[in-house]
Amino acid sequence: MAFPDLQEAAHPEVPFGTTMLFAAILVGLIASMALEEKLHAKKSLIVGIFAVICLFLGAVLLPLPFGPYEIGGQQIHLPVYIPAIDWGVIAIILGASLFVDVTSKSGLFTWIAIRLTKSSRGDPLKLLWYYGLMTVAFSAVLNNVTAMIIVGSLSTVSLSKLDRSDKLLGFLLIEGLLTNVGGLLTLISSVPNIIVGTAAGISFVTFFLKASPFVAVATVVSLVIGAKVFGIRSLATREERAEAARLVDGFDENDGIESEAFFWFGAFMLILFIIAIATASVTPYINDLGMGFVALTFALVMLIRYKHEVDTFYQTIDWDLLGFFAALFVVINVMEHAAVLALIGMGLERMIALGPSLGTGAILVSAALFSSVTDNIPLAAMLAKIISDIPMAGGGIRPPTDPLWWAVIFGANLGGNLTPIGSASTLVAVTIIHKQKIPLSFVAFVKKAVPFALAQIVLALIYVLFVM
Amino acid sequence: MTKVDQFESAFRAASKTVFEYQPIAVRSILVITDRSESEADVFGKQISDFLSVLRSDGSPRWRIVNGSEFDTVPELLALVEEERPDLICTYRHLHSESWRWPYTLGEYVDVLAQVTTTPVIVLPHPDAMRASEHAVKDTLAVMAMTDHLTGDAVLVNYAARFTEPSGKLFLTHIEDEATFERYMGTISRIPSIDTENARRTILEQLLKEPKDYIRSCREVLEAEGLPLAVEAIVTKGHHLREFAKLVEKHEVDLLVLNTKDEDQLAMHGLAYPLAVELRQIPLLLL
Repeated sequence: MAFPDLQEAAHPEVPFGTTMLFAAILVGLIASMALEEKLHAKKSLIVGIFAVICLFLGAVLLPLPFGPYEIGGQQIHLPVYIPAIDWGVIAIILGASLFVDVTSKSGLFTWIAIRLTKSSRGDPLKLLWYYGLMTVAFSAVLNNVTAMIIVGSLSTVSLSKLDRSDKLLGFLLIEGLLTNVGGLLTLISSVPNIIVGTAAGISFVTFFLKASPFVAVATVVSLVIGAKVFGIRSLATREERAEAARLVDGFDENDGIESEAFFWFGAFMLILFIIAIATASVTPYINDLGMGFVALTFALVMLIRYKHEVDTFYQTIDWDLLGFFAALFVVINVMEHAAVLALIGMGLERMIALGPSLGTGAILVSAALFSSVTDNIPLAAMLAKIISDIPMAGGGIRPPTDPLWWAVIFGANLGGNLTPIGSASTLVAVTIIHKQKIPLSFVAFVKKAVPFALAQIVLALIYVLFVM
Repeated sequence: MTKVDQFESAFRAASKTVFEYQPIAVRSILVITDRSESEADVFGKQISDFLSVLRSDGSPRWRIVNGSEFDTVPELLALVEEERPDLICTYRHLHSESWRWPYTLGEYVDVLAQVTTTPVIVLPHPDAMRASEHAVKDTLAVMAMTDHLTGDAVLVNYAARFTEPSGKLFLTHIEDEATFERYMGTISRIPSIDTENARRTILEQLLKEPKDYIRSCREVLEAEGLPLAVEAIVTKGHHLREFAKLVEKHEVDLLVLNTKDEDQLAMHGLAYPLAVELRQIPLLLL
């Protein structure tokens, strides 16, 4: 049977021509996302326009479920685009980013960053390792973009102080690439993890236990390659070491701490936040309310300190990102009703049919290639939806340990390292590089990043296929 | 990308300039007068008593120049070149009666302060009777003054060297009010900048940096075992009025200030009016 026959068999109510029309719209959306920088438009606007077009055409051409919806035994009227959005994911992102923003006001993150800088005594190689490990840790606990901003800013200032600005490109590039490795450490470290993890039913602890060995190895490999490629070495003479130590001693880690009590409160709340998120799936009542509830609660508790000026924190929320998610979920929902996801799923099924090793490997590599040229979030959202709909060989629900989920997670995260537009954090790294007037073209980035990205993807293939 | 700048600012603010202690050696002193030989010797003795702190690391060599040894600026410069002293002590308006009018330093001091790299102590004129009661007796209260203290280790090291043991070393930084208000006036016309917030945060940061530097000076001088009491004076105001007020309030015995300006041949913009107007105490011009 050909694709049209298969598709019409699965979704007899949707003509193949209509499916192809929506597939073309999806291709247009992906192309627009890849050209985001050229279009000079924010992603929420780009995807928002596509969502409006999809909804209108969907209302005309598709049997969209306009409700009323039955929720808790009650018939509720909702616009069709409201249940299309995964509000659990939106709540996690909103709560976590607000929590991190308020906590950073305590001076906690700058304190950690400066303490590490001072303990390196200004030695470039030690600094690279410390900053690399800090990038991974911050990416895991905070989010990739915030981690890159903190570590990238510190690298700029500290290398300039140490008169080592010639090594800045290497530092920023390695840090940018490590954000996507660190983004694999926990379930909440990156948005693809949240989306795929939630769809697969992977708990926080399981995610951490499965991903952490890979993250450790990939981090070490990336740092070793980075030090060699960019010629970052230890200081040779005692005089050089003494001068570097004197310069980093000029940093005052307490400078950003306005209140010691709030500093310690911030540290305590951060630890508690990680514990609460880690145990959310097994804590009675909390497992019903979800991780989004935990994140929003912690954000609100932290905001009490700034009760008279909470609006200033609301202004710092990345509304573009949230708008982008909301619109993206709407587009994907319409694509599902237009049978576009089923069509892609058939293609994926053929890939999976290559066998447990070859098929999973092919999914990982294609996810990486795909996310290198466009945003990995739509890819993750789409693949999560499709894979959860593909039946298991023996029937039943696909378990959280199924390598297919992990192939998507690893591919979507690591693919971002192939190009500067592959992930938001590498884009931040390039922005900082350009801000420092260091020339780095798209092609030059790819040339420098490919050895790292390939090493990481090969490691991921070995890990997913032979270790997990 | 606002956040990148926010974090860069936070890290730049945390990156402090650390004071570096450098002992100042004064082994030879040239006292220049326009008096007769005997009067010059008396003047020299007075200066020697005033600068007794310099004997702490061995007695320096003193050379007293009397009025008959030079008649022109080139002759004086030749004398300085011949002696190559570590310190010059003199007063305003050598070989001139212009000391009666407090508008210049006189041609000799003007040139000396700019042509030589040697620090010059300018004392109250012996005939003018304008010296404060406590002046030219000791150096128990020494004030280093500038509008840019952060990183100026030379100024602090000299001021510390001339402060007697158990004396007070005032490290003073005055932000110029007129300049600050001019910038604030411009900011108040820019809609995208919150004027009140800008006024508060810019002033806080302007004053924080010298305060941090003074803290570093205090720590380093203490670690070096110098028995001085370091006092910080960091504020905003009218340069000349503020410094005159502080000198009087703290009964300063020696005022230390920079006079060299990298961009110009004339004396540093702030130093000249201060040197001209503060005539009641000795000034160390660097």
